[in-house]
Amino acid sequence: MEPHEFKLTEEGIRAVLPPLEAEIMEEMWKLKVATAGQLYEILKERHPDIRRSTVSILMNRLCERGLLKRNVETGRGGMRYVYSITTTREEFEEKVVKSILDALMSNFREATYAYLSKMKK
Amino acid sequence: MLYLVMLLQLILAIGMLGELGLKLIVTSALLVLLIYIWAYTSEPKGSYHALEREQIPWLYDGVAKMAKKAGIRMPKIYLLEDYIPNAYSFKNTLVFSLGLFEVLGEEEILAVAAHEIGHIKNGDTKLFPVIAYSRYLMMLLTLMIVVVTKSSLVSFTSLILYALYEMSRAEYLKKREFGADHTALGLLDVPLSLKHALEELKYYEDLRENVKTNALPSIEPSIDRKQGTQIIETHPSYDERILRILLEINPGLPQNRLQ
Repeated sequence: MEPHEFKLTEEGIRAVLPPLEAEIMEEMWKLKVATAGQLYEILKERHPDIRRSTVSILMNRLCERGLLKRNVETGRGGMRYVYSITTTREEFEEKVVKSILDALMSNFREATYAYLSKMKK
Repeated sequence: MLYLVMLLQLILAIGMLGELGLKLIVTSALLVLLIYIWAYTSEPKGSYHALEREQIPWLYDGVAKMAKKAGIRMPKIYLLEDYIPNAYSFKNTLVFSLGLFEVLGEEEILAVAAHEIGHIKNGDTKLFPVIAYSRYLMMLLTLMIVVVTKSSLVSFTSLILYALYEMSRAEYLKKREFGADHTALGLLDVPLSLKHALEELKYYEDLRENVKTNALPSIEPSIDRKQGTQIIETHPSYDERILRILLEINPGLPQNRLQ
């Protein structure tokens, strides 16, 4: 996933992901593999009004973004979709930093160099 | 009304096209029959998985109980690999997408199953393919009448009949949907679960269609499958169905209070 937007006012991955998607990713990085139902139960504790539909749509959106992947699992309780992470948190953050620096270098090359060298000192 | 309009168009075709019209009708009817037989005898292919009882006992047993109550044979149940919640029926078969299990609870899924059993009990799974294929016959007849006959009055009449056919077909299909809901309410232990299921599915679709952009600015319709828009809706809206369900469960409620 290549971030297309960086919100300066937001903290952590919320700077590049909408709040609920960021929350889902935080949980998914802890769990690594989960069903939408499991995520719903977790998020419901913090957001009592959240609906199953919202979690399902957002998890599928994260699949479209390439941050999660969806597989069919057959086991006890029948067939179901299980979602798993495609990237670790560290790899994701690295990608974000790389994309932002690449954008800065192509748009404000001199200023970026100057600032980075000042930071090094 | 639907059958009357079809009959009028057939009479017009035979009257105006003569032997050609008759041949066209017989050939098309045979073709429709062949497609119907093929569709009725073939099994679903692709991402469909037949459900065994031990996989989801509550669903299997729930369907068995309702089928018995409805007086139909135990339907085959298939699970479809699709993340969009969906359910439908054909022949004596029920299909549930995996997405349905993500957004609905057990009682609500059983309510959806009851609606589909309603379609089977009411004979819709036999009737709907005939109506769907007959539409092509109506299109063909109208086209032939317009192209072959020189009279603009006849062409105009045929086009009007076709428009009437489309409207009455939509109305007829809507009635069958309400009929399936009515049957479902009689099969369910908790009739309100059908209302809850429809509300959740409506919420899901609203979210997909970006209606709730303020609540969830991240939802973009581009992630979802593209859907064709219909000029004449053949399916009643969720609101219409919910209203009817409420009126059926609480016959004493005045309509204006519900709206």
